[in-house]
Parts: sequence; C-alpha cells; structure tokens
Amino acid sequence: MKMIEVLRNFAQESKWKWSNFLLEIKRLDRTQYIILFFLTIASIFMLLPIVYIFNHAFKPLHELFLFPPTFIVQDPTFQNFIELLTLTSNTFVPVSRFIFNSVIVTVLATIAMVVTSALCAYALSKHPFPGSKLVFSLIMISLLFVPQVLQIPRYVVVESLGIMNTYWGHVLPLIAMPVGVFLMKQFIDQVPNEVLEAAKIDGASEFGMFFRIVMPIVTPAIATIAIISFQSAWGNTETSQLFMQDESMKTLPYYMMSLTANLANSVARQGAAAAGALIMFLPQFIMFLFFQRKVIATMAHSGIK
Amino acid sequence: MARILLNNVTKRYGKFKELAVDNFNMDIKDQEFLVFLGPSGCGKSTTLRMVAGLEDISEGEIYIGDTLVNDYPPKDRDISMVFQNYALYPNLTVYENIAFGLRIRKMPKHEIEAAVKRAADVLEIGNFLNRKPRELSGGQRQRVALGRAIVRSPQAFLMDEPLSNLDAKLRVQMRAEIIRLHRTIGVTTIYVTHDQIEAMTMGDRIVVMNKGVIQQVDTPEQIYHKPQNLFVAKFIGNQPMNFFEGTIEEINGYLTFSTQTFSIRLTDKQTKMFNQLRGVSYNIIMGIRPEYMSFEKEMFDVYPNAVLKGVLQFNEFIGSDHYYHLDSQGRESFTVRAHPRFSYREGEEVRVAIDMEKVLFFDSKTEKLLTI
Repeated sequence: MKMIEVLRNFAQESKWKWSNFLLEIKRLDRTQYIILFFLTIASIFMLLPIVYIFNHAFKPLHELFLFPPTFIVQDPTFQNFIELLTLTSNTFVPVSRFIFNSVIVTVLATIAMVVTSALCAYALSKHPFPGSKLVFSLIMISLLFVPQVLQIPRYVVVESLGIMNTYWGHVLPLIAMPVGVFLMKQFIDQVPNEVLEAAKIDGASEFGMFFRIVMPIVTPAIATIAIISFQSAWGNTETSQLFMQDESMKTLPYYMMSLTANLANSVARQGAAAAGALIMFLPQFIMFLFFQRKVIATMAHSGIK
Repeated sequence: MARILLNNVTKRYGKFKELAVDNFNMDIKDQEFLVFLGPSGCGKSTTLRMVAGLEDISEGEIYIGDTLVNDYPPKDRDISMVFQNYALYPNLTVYENIAFGLRIRKMPKHEIEAAVKRAADVLEIGNFLNRKPRELSGGQRQRVALGRAIVRSPQAFLMDEPLSNLDAKLRVQMRAEIIRLHRTIGVTTIYVTHDQIEAMTMGDRIVVMNKGVIQQVDTPEQIYHKPQNLFVAKFIGNQPMNFFEGTIEEINGYLTFSTQTFSIRLTDKQTKMFNQLRGVSYNIIMGIRPEYMSFEKEMFDVYPNAVLKGVLQFNEFIGSDHYYHLDSQGRESFTVRAHPRFSYREGEEVRVAIDMEKVLFFDSKTEKLLTI
C-alpha cells in the first residue's frame, strides 16, 4: 500500500527533510488523506500516556491528586525526585545496587536474546532438518501462553538448575524469545539461498556466512529484537519476585514497584512513584528513538504493520 | 584451467528416490564452453550444482582437473559460479563483493586491490566500485557477479542461467560480452540455459537434456541439422520443425513417404537408407524445418515429386521473413518460412515444395533419427 511505502521511504531516508516529507504527502490521494487523518488522531491518542508520564513526574503534590486530572503540569517541581531520593537513601540495600543489577541483567539478557533468536531463526530458515517445521510451529504456539501459566514450571526449572539468587536466574528465563525467532525468520527467509551459496563457493565458513552476510542484511530485525528484548528485560519484575530471595540481587523495576505497590494503599508516595515511573521509562524511550528508523523498516518489511 | 569429467553421475531426490539426473557421462575439454540446454526441470541446474558442490552426488564421480572432487566442499573445488539472480552480497559494496573471496582466502591487501582492479577493468565496472548492488542496474549487477567469478582465477566457471533476468536487448549485449570474456580468459565454462539462442550462439558444444537424461551432445550446427531424436528436433529451432506422420511405401517402383493427405518420393540416398534398414512400410515421422519448405519456383523444379498443397491459415510477419501457417485438408498443419515478396491471403490454397536433402526421418516408436 502507498502508506507503507511512504513510511518505508521515510524510514530509509538517510536525512530527515521536511520538504521531502511534504512532497510525499502531496502525492497521496483522497482516501489516503482520510487514512492519514485517522492515523494522526490515533497516534496523538497513543502519545498521550507518554506526555502524561513526563508531566506527572514534575507535578507538585496538590496537582497529583487533582480531579479531573490534568495532562500538562501547571507548576513544575523536582519535589518528587527529591522524595524518591530520600526514600532510596534510607533502604537497607543501596539503590545503586539495584541499578547495577538492572544494567547487568538487561545488557546480558538483550545480547543473549538477540543472539539466540538469530541463531535459532538461521537454522530454521536456511538449514531445514527433518521436523524443523514442527519445531517452528511449537515456537509459535509458545506465543499463546500467558506468562503466569509458566511461572510454576519455570520456578521448578530454575530451582533445580540451582541458579536462584544469581544473574543466571534473571537472564536464562528470558532468553527463549518466540517473537524474536519469528521476526528473524521472516527476515532471514528473504535472504536468497543463492547469496549464501555464492558465499560458500567464495570460501566462507558457516559462521562467516552468518556474521558477514546474513547478520548485516538483517540489521533492521536485529534492532527491533534488541528493542523488544531490552523492554522486556528492563521492565521485568517477575524474576526478581520469584527467583531472588536475596534482596541485593533484585532489580530496579522490582524495587520501584515495591516502593508503592507494597503499601497498604496506593495514595501515599504517589509523587515518588511518578518520578520513578519516568526514570524507568526514560531508557526505553531513548533506546527506541535510537533504533526507531530500523524498527519501522522491519514492521513494513515483515507485514506486521 | 582444467578439464571436467563426469562419470555416471546420478542424482536422486527425496523419499522416493526420484531420479533428477540419470547416469550423466561427460568429458568437458580444457577451455571449452559447454552449454547445458533443456526445458525447466530437466536436471541441467542440478548437474551444474553437483559440479559446484552445492548438491551431493548420489552415484558416480566428478573430476575437476585430475582431482576427484566428490567429497570436496565447494570452496576447495577451485570453481566459481554465477547465478541467475546475481546473488551479490547486498550489504557490501561492489569492491567488497568482488574482494570477498580473496579476503577469506587471506590474500595480502595490495594483491587484492590489484586483482579487483584488473577484474573491474575487464568488465568496465571501475566507475562504481564504491556503490552498493541495489544502486546498480541488472546488467551492471550481472557484470559485478562476473567480476566476482573471474577475480579468483578459478579452474572453471559455472553459470546458471546468468542472463535470464535481463531484458532482451541487454541479454544480447551480455551474451557477446561473456563470449568475449571466455575468449580472453579461456577458462573452462559450463553454462546452463533454457534459451536455445543463447546455447546456439555461445556454446562450443551443447548438451541437450530432458528428464535428467542426455539427449544429444554436439556442436550447435549438428544439433540443429542432425537432431538425434524427436525431443531435440522439437526443442531446437525458434519456429518449431514441421512433423508429418506417415509410412514408407513402394509406389510405381519408387519408395515414397505417404501421409493421409500427400505422398512424396524419396531421393536415391534416402531410398538406399531405407533399403538398408529394410524397414519399408513401418511408421515414420518426417521432420522438416520451415526454412526448407518453399514457394520458390526453383524448388519445384528440383523436387517435382515433393510437393504438397495447403490452405493458408494465418501469417506471422517478423520483418525479414513471413511465417505462413498452412493446413493440409484439416489434418496436418505446418509452417513455411518465406521471403516477404511472397504474399498470400488467408484461405488461399498454395503449393509448397520440400527440400528433400534436408528432410529428417524418425522412427515413430523409438523416436530416434534414422541414419545409416
């Protein structure tokens, strides 16, 4: 469709130029204008929570509880961040430890998820073996399960592996990533076999082909999977909750959650929670801005959008 | 540079061991340009891929040079291959595409540079060494693919329908260029195509294949004029050969070929052949190419006993020639190539003379060419 094309051109433009964008817009016909109109409204609607998070964090106490709530902060203040700092400086385990844990876990998990998905998808796509289709269907079926269903079996596995209270306990349960495998496979499927055969004749080893040819071709998919896995690892509280009895092994999101959620009511510490929410959100936001172009290319490519 | 030898090479596929290539024997001479020609699915690409090492060989032996390469991986066979869809590495520049194989073989940097430059000069792609493949046209891409093939100076080139993705004009141009390249470098080349014009114009010898079996191996002239069986006769020729089913009979002391609608007298040579074969009155298929059927007066004089009548159905004008499609009493149809000065109208009845020297006879049972 034309819209997708516009988006793709948009994503592939090396330099953002308003004039180009306007030119593209001019070329659309009437139905496409209507679609564009509704998409714009929808995107504003989806943008609101983000605006809200940013504003909420800077609201003074009396504004936090205004009814009806306001989107835009009237009287911005750093009070909430100060409250958060005071709270965190009084804990048994210093907050820096949680941040450290989170960074380690997120980096390890993201790398592990990308690498595993890519290797798995490459094997399924370019080296089909008897039963490989079944394996791929099983991976797809695993998308259907709600995480909660898997909690108990996962606990048993982590427990019997003896990796409770270690970073392994954080990373390992996340590594298998069906969405990543799916996205990667869609992309690697489109790398013509002849290209790999040419590389084989040129003398490349299997790993040479994978790293020097396949991976550079599928960078958009890598970027997308990196974002998705970063999000799931960064915001993950489940592993801290289930597998970490040792306080010092828990991660930042768990800590943030416990700041507010563990209290008897959710009224107290709203300010700290708002500031915490922004802090938790920022890395994801930055990460997305960083990879955004590649991601749009992926979505247009794999037919997800 | 080397000769390539295929001994009883056989390929079976899948659960039911279906034959894709059946007992393929071929001796490809050093510096030869050999073309595999056949309809799609005839096993020509499979054979090529077995030589390249991209497919396992079910039975038989392949030698490149003096080495038995059955168990060698592609990279150790010292061959290079050009694919139909170019198969360039999209993430690398033209330069890096050509240099890829050399880098993997750990050639010193200055030598790589010199080699790439030489290849680029030969193919005239020096101007866009820094571009990515997607910024090139089809012809340029195929040239880069050729560059990647020649830069390693392999013992043999394998080309799998390299021109099929190009438009007609470019195809003619690249055809000439590949021939020129072969003349300059002189490397043994196996070229796979389903396009008979490519095969006829490029090949030193042509291997016609069908259903995994070699039908005929010969020079283009021989393939065209002396097809060994009906398949080759039907497959070769832009305007297909005309076929008539009939029998050989003795009429008034002369051997004649008779169909339901006409009888023509055989030449002395043909009479001698059929007498030697002693097969008078068995079923025969006669083949004659459109250019050897004629409206010219001289032909009627030379072959007064080889004339048939037909009603003109339709006419294809291709510029230099007319192709008249005729119909004989609604039973047999055939095509005649004629000079544009002959012009007949549809529905008109015309007389056609057959050049008896160029007539081929096939046994209708074995479909083989009858010769002595």
